[in-house]
Amino acid sequence: MRIYSLIFALLLIFGGCADNSSYVKVVDSSIDRDIDIEDIKERVREDGLKEVQVMGENDTDEYMLLRYRVVWQDKDGFDVPSISSSWRDFPVHKNSNFTINIIAPNKEAQKYQLFINRQGE
Amino acid sequence: MKRSQIAAVLMAAAITLMTGCADKTERIDINNDEGAQVMGLDYRDFNQAAADAVQSMLKSGALDKKSGDRYVLAISRITNDTMQHIDTDQLIKKIRIELLRSGKVVVTTAVGIDGAEDKMAKEARKLREDAEFNQRTVQEEGQLIAPDMSLSGKIIQRNVKMDDGKQQVEYYFMLSLTEIKTGLAWWEGETVIGKRGSGKSVSW
Repeated sequence: MRIYSLIFALLLIFGGCADNSSYVKVVDSSIDRDIDIEDIKERVREDGLKEVQVMGENDTDEYMLLRYRVVWQDKDGFDVPSISSSWRDFPVHKNSNFTINIIAPNKEAQKYQLFINRQGE
Repeated sequence: MKRSQIAAVLMAAAITLMTGCADKTERIDINNDEGAQVMGLDYRDFNQAAADAVQSMLKSGALDKKSGDRYVLAISRITNDTMQHIDTDQLIKKIRIELLRSGKVVVTTAVGIDGAEDKMAKEARKLREDAEFNQRTVQEEGQLIAPDMSLSGKIIQRNVKMDDGKQQVEYYFMLSLTEIKTGLAWWEGETVIGKRGSGKSVSW
């Protein structure tokens, strides 16, 4: 019993310390029910750059032109300037999956916030 | 009311109307510009093309030097083959900045297709002959670093007249990254930006 309590406590501690400062957010409330973010994959490549792949689905019968931007931060939470912090358009076809694949601007960029919005909002 | 008083009132009303209706100059939020698109190229198009090129280059691994060191990149000819008077540095500078930030590349300004971008590297070496300068502070021979890679490309414009009288303008941003040692292009990228608008719009 004591060992289970210890494991549970450790899980709580490590769960509480998990890095939750990276996230993907659908900014526009008018599309957050139409767009499902199904999976987020991360890896650090051999060259030390973090690569992120966001997979989602357009649940509607409507083609949408969306856009995204990524804000990168270093391990201490300081912004890492990047050209990818400006909005970039991407097409989302009706009832189809979509993928956003981005690479960190340098090795220091470890955390990210990816924002998805409707074009022109 | 006298004639002069009427004139004064009319003039005051006209001034009020004109100043009230005058378009105010606004500063653009370049990170979230909701302004209407133009048929020509604007900074949003250059941003998109530069971001696409850098992401593609980083993903390709063409800039990963085995030793972990950085490649020295020279900027070659970037041809503006559009009908617009644009400085190709609007595109290339963004790419240079982002590649420099990546830690994979350093750009030489001592070598360029039309001579050095910064002529001071060569000019300062002429001080070797000048007895007024402490020669220990003058650069020794053989210190300049030759480029490993070269970035070249062109921006093409194609105008298409649509059946409904509208005009379609296609812009192609084509770039190549060539290894100077072998002359082989290790990376090539193309971003297409298309615009459709009134046939009366001028895209230059």
